[in-house]
Amino acid sequence: MPEIKVTPLGAGQDVGRSCILVSIGGKNIMLDCGMHMGYNDDRRFPDFSYITQNGRLTDFLDCLIISHFHLDHCGALPYMSEMVGYDGPIYMTHPTKAICPILLEDFRKITVDKKGETNFFTSQMIKDCMKKVIPLNLHQTVQVDDELEIKAYYAGHVLGAAMVHIKVGSESVVYTGDYNMTPDRHLGAAWIDKCRPDILISESTYATTIRDSKRCRERDFLKKVHESIERGGKVLIPVFALGRAQELCILLETFWERMNLKAPIYFSTGLTEKANHYYKLFITWTNQKIRKTFVQRNMFEFKHIKAFDRSYADNPGPMVVFATPGMLHAGQSLQIFKKWAGNEKNMVIMPGYCVQGTIGHKILNGQRKLEMEGRATLDVKLQVEYMSFSAHADAKGIMQLIRMAEPRNMLLVHGEAVKMEFLKGKIEQEFSIDCYMPANGETTTVTTNPSVPVDISLNLLKREMALGGPLPDPKKPRTMHGTLIMKENSLKLVSSEQALKELGLNEHQLRFTCHVQLQDPHSDADTLHRIYTHLKSVLKGYTIQHLPDGTVIVESIVIKVSSSAEDSNTKVLLLSWSYQVKTWTLFLERFTLIYNGVLPGG
Amino acid sequence: EMEDAEFEDILDDWFIESLKTYKDLHVYQLEHPTQVLEWTSGNSVCVAGYSQSKNEILELRLPLKLLADENKSLCAERDFKVSHGGFTDGPVRCLTHIPGTRCAVTNDGLSSDLQVWDLGGEESDVIRRTGSIKGKRSASERGSRIAARPSSAPQVLHGAQISDVQLTELASGETLYKLETDSADPLSSLQFVSDTVFLAGCCNGSVYVADTRTSAPPQLSHSPSSAESVIWWTDAAAGPHPSSRRVIRVSSSGQAVVSDLRNLGGAGCQAQLDVQTPGRCSQVKVSWAPTLDDCISVSGFSGVVQIYNTRLWGAEPQEARPLFEHRGHAVSSQQTDDSVPTFVTSHIWHPERPRTLLSAASDGSVHVWDWVDPNRQGGSPTP
Repeated sequence: MPEIKVTPLGAGQDVGRSCILVSIGGKNIMLDCGMHMGYNDDRRFPDFSYITQNGRLTDFLDCLIISHFHLDHCGALPYMSEMVGYDGPIYMTHPTKAICPILLEDFRKITVDKKGETNFFTSQMIKDCMKKVIPLNLHQTVQVDDELEIKAYYAGHVLGAAMVHIKVGSESVVYTGDYNMTPDRHLGAAWIDKCRPDILISESTYATTIRDSKRCRERDFLKKVHESIERGGKVLIPVFALGRAQELCILLETFWERMNLKAPIYFSTGLTEKANHYYKLFITWTNQKIRKTFVQRNMFEFKHIKAFDRSYADNPGPMVVFATPGMLHAGQSLQIFKKWAGNEKNMVIMPGYCVQGTIGHKILNGQRKLEMEGRATLDVKLQVEYMSFSAHADAKGIMQLIRMAEPRNMLLVHGEAVKMEFLKGKIEQEFSIDCYMPANGETTTVTTNPSVPVDISLNLLKREMALGGPLPDPKKPRTMHGTLIMKENSLKLVSSEQALKELGLNEHQLRFTCHVQLQDPHSDADTLHRIYTHLKSVLKGYTIQHLPDGTVIVESIVIKVSSSAEDSNTKVLLLSWSYQVKTWTLFLERFTLIYNGVLPGG
Repeated sequence: EMEDAEFEDILDDWFIESLKTYKDLHVYQLEHPTQVLEWTSGNSVCVAGYSQSKNEILELRLPLKLLADENKSLCAERDFKVSHGGFTDGPVRCLTHIPGTRCAVTNDGLSSDLQVWDLGGEESDVIRRTGSIKGKRSASERGSRIAARPSSAPQVLHGAQISDVQLTELASGETLYKLETDSADPLSSLQFVSDTVFLAGCCNGSVYVADTRTSAPPQLSHSPSSAESVIWWTDAAAGPHPSSRRVIRVSSSGQAVVSDLRNLGGAGCQAQLDVQTPGRCSQVKVSWAPTLDDCISVSGFSGVVQIYNTRLWGAEPQEARPLFEHRGHAVSSQQTDDSVPTFVTSHIWHPERPRTLLSAASDGSVHVWDWVDPNRQGGSPTP
């Protein structure tokens, strides 16, 4: 039976990175190539030894698809393509292609420059890797080769995130990457059509959660900012150029207006330029509302938010500043942080994950004394707030997605089977589909039941119907005989005669003969008659005829009797049958024994 | 489905007010609404559906951020974790956790039979049905109330009407005690006030107090009102001192009566609660605050949970104003059918955190909120 194999690479329970191998219709596809942010050694890279023990991966993979720019989905990409070696196509959406190299370079700088690591990919490797990228548009079918096609769908979550539909022949798989089913402030909700894939592959990380509302996260953000401003403190919000920054800005602007607040809000210039640039490029990827806002005005022409000048950091009184980079690892946000860290009235709000080695990571782990360059220590007295705004689907979201796509099977990666039994049961009950949960490094094989549509000739159909019997149904398929003709892309079933005619061939018949010797003193005609009578009694239910031309016909086996030339008491039975009647040989052997035993005077 | 909200939409009055009126606020949307909220530990609750056919029972672990005291600001985790889940064949109208175990008992509101469940442990996240307890009645309009014995081996007190109340040992199914009374009044509440003494509140407002150790007849306190169509709900404060053991009764017309447990018929205090749509309610919940003296909470009349300070009440019934109102369910209702307003189906106080409550509503919302006492607020709410 045809089957699809899915293997999440990695070992044991570690869930920090995504890298999934799919084998479908003879093609091998890698989905995502993430870096595990918790490890410092080779364990952070996916384990490619499953594919090949050594050597390049090009021959083993038909393509690699990256779902979005988060490092746990693309962080190992340059390592895989340039250090392990892969020269095949790498697919990702346009925004992902634009943003990935920036994040990878930032990440590389932190890891190599800040942490002094050596076995890591270089800037050149990032550039070389991105040259292999083929960008995808939403809802556009891309032929990877003659048989493999892929299509990207909107996933929400972050700018450019996609769910991908992979099809080979009539088998297909959908991989969700990270997605969310409720619209965000700046992104829409994931959407897919009723594509009915054989397998829907999704992360199980948030499958057993129920998400707190966006409103409450925003409430907490505004509350904390407001409280700091009210006591005269300064609030630093380190952000990446894209995504949450715009959302938070618009939120603050609206809040300031509503509350009639006077404290200044600043946006560092580097942010403005980059963000404007990217939003212009990828306007179709954002939420309807953002698009409207952007079209109506320049994204960053706010009433209350102004461009930042670094001298402002020393101004007295409360203020809010959005500055890059997001993890406080360098640049303007770090400079501002150093100035403000010593005052407990101040606050820094970290809106996302910070990579190990960055100041952001350290303060989020509670570190209150930081070692800076020149062995100076910085006392962290300001308030540190960690807030997560990332949009993920939860238990309800997964059910909604399954309802949308109608997969035949569900597969959840990165979960612990004992912690997911309930969800598995829920999916199986509500949708009557199997739910698989492979451990990392484990392969799940899903048997598919692809239907191959074939046209049947009317004549053949009529002939089959004339034979009577029950009509075919999915539970009781009916066997029939015909000839399958495969011409170009069509398949048709016709009768053998018609096939021969179309092919311009004459029909040949294969007839088998065998001789059976018997001892019987009777005349040829008598012997034949006795054989006829005997067969009629032992072969009930079969059509047995005794023809005037001296033959007995059992179904389509012809029996003739003649006497041996040497001895008239020896009779020779000539049996002949056509190719279809193979099973009769066994029967006939038994017939001979019966005959010899039963007939007297034998 | 949810529409794209303008930024301006979220900054409605309630939202702005909430910045000052709540310390913490979490809003969740379950797939199906629940009528039950029951603590299974200091940081986990059970909820369950009440549709006619198949439903889910879920055990939810509270978000880490809510419970973190020291490193609260460094914790970004705001979500419920579905730690265990199971399926039921019918609605769940009542769910009681057996203290000290991983066992829960439910009733479907259609008969007085009880279902017994294993909530699961580390090895599995599935909640499984392990047995049942036969009640007195095969068909019951309201179903049974259930109370778990606070200490001792797992035993449940249950019954649909006062004459049916019995104490059953879970392991053996043996009936250890039966309340001796002829009255057929349906029950609206049942709870232990000590390890052996329990209080049974009837729908007509009368309250029975009995001791499971004796077969002596229960003490009966008659209803505060003789009005026929009025339904009453009761809660007893489980205070450490006998002197703090008070009982509150709330009626469907919004009348509230507080009395001392040892002197139920005596002079206590009363009030006319400020409830919308009095008379239209079926799932009223009234509860004493576990750690705030004299505070009670009421829900079920509308989409609001109200908190009152009973110390301000006098002997004569006067209109009482709530100390605090949680209007979240009404304000941000996810109800698709506008003709049926959202109402709060249940609420519970956190056993230790003084002002933390959970509330659930008919639109499937579940809120976790830590309110600020308006009398202790610094400054007035912002415009």
